[in-house]
Amino acid sequence: MSSELSGDATNLDSVIGGSGVASGIAGGDVLTAYAEAALGDDEAEIAMSRSAVQSELGDAAVVDAAAVIANFQRMVRIADGCGIPLDEPVMMMSQGIREDLGLNGFGGAANAGELGFAKRVLGRVLAPFAPRMLKRMAARRAP
Amino acid sequence: MAAFDYSDVVPEVREDLSEAHGKVWSMLAEPGNWWRAEDRIAIAQESRNARSCELCRRRKSALSPYGDEGLHDASTNLPAAAIDAVHRITTDPARIKKAWIDDLGESGISHGHYVELLGIVVALISIDGFHRAMGLPLAPLPQPVAGEPDHYLPSGARDHGAFVATILPQDLTAGEADLYGGSSQTGNVITAMSLVPDSVRMLTVLGGAQYLPASKVADPTDNGGRALNRAQIELTAARVSLLSDCFY
Repeated sequence: MSSELSGDATNLDSVIGGSGVASGIAGGDVLTAYAEAALGDDEAEIAMSRSAVQSELGDAAVVDAAAVIANFQRMVRIADGCGIPLDEPVMMMSQGIREDLGLNGFGGAANAGELGFAKRVLGRVLAPFAPRMLKRMAARRAP
Repeated sequence: MAAFDYSDVVPEVREDLSEAHGKVWSMLAEPGNWWRAEDRIAIAQESRNARSCELCRRRKSALSPYGDEGLHDASTNLPAAAIDAVHRITTDPARIKKAWIDDLGESGISHGHYVELLGIVVALISIDGFHRAMGLPLAPLPQPVAGEPDHYLPSGARDHGAFVATILPQDLTAGEADLYGGSSQTGNVITAMSLVPDSVRMLTVLGGAQYLPASKVADPTDNGGRALNRAQIELTAARVSLLSDCFY
């Protein structure tokens, strides 16, 4: 979703399919491979994927990527551990993206609440404008 | 702060990461609102234990995570219910239910205890996660500072549809005025742990260094001066989130 917001032509299949799918983002394959390895326990695989990021994107990129990977390992636990609902406007505008990414099958989806029929239809009608509207929502809701 | 002296690490680690990790480690070592400092360190230790816990492994692959009542591979004197909470948050967070959190109250673990415990676990996982990704040894846990929890409950906390009460920006009182950086709106994931304000403060400190400072998040083209551009940052974040079954 965030890549959609940034306006880049990003292949969301790479988020689902991982390092084997071209993302359209420079270094996307090595970054997703690093993320996949870092969530596991295989130190050799982590080292190899880290080295690939270093070779393709440089030293500082390794540190930034490691930090982002570390950061987002906790966000899921905060969201699921507290059972926070998805903000309703975001829920409405992100229907297509959530379906594309298969997010509605995750356990946390049960905490998200449900949209009424009218809001589901409105979300579909406004889908072509979703990236621009989500960008405005993000700007209003960021801390 | 010595635990996070990254000066000899190759590739070179940004100073703000060292400072953020040191700051959170110091906060971890202090008594909280609901747990003594030694309990807080024990919670951090249990989160590390959970990664190799056999009961957690069995539960993770079970159809229901609430059917297997075995013993966790634990090494602390925390109450059994607290150990269970730490291990579940660490290894199977997507299947946590409100009823289970409410039932923790029967073991003396209030929503305040739970949110503080959650804040410790996620901070520990995040800092350890950086070390693992960088190929660094895990930092030794800090020595606890003497003192007692103050059982502080922010007066602005209300039911806003989450499992636990949260504070909206308009309900902040003087003690929590800093919590959302003065913003009148913020996302639910930021308010999620506001029942224990220091948990949000730790979240903000870590997020500012590991991801982006709050002021940079709203503009999807702003990379905060990082070596990765914003699309690369978000792709990495999205892949981690998806692999973690993150709906939010």
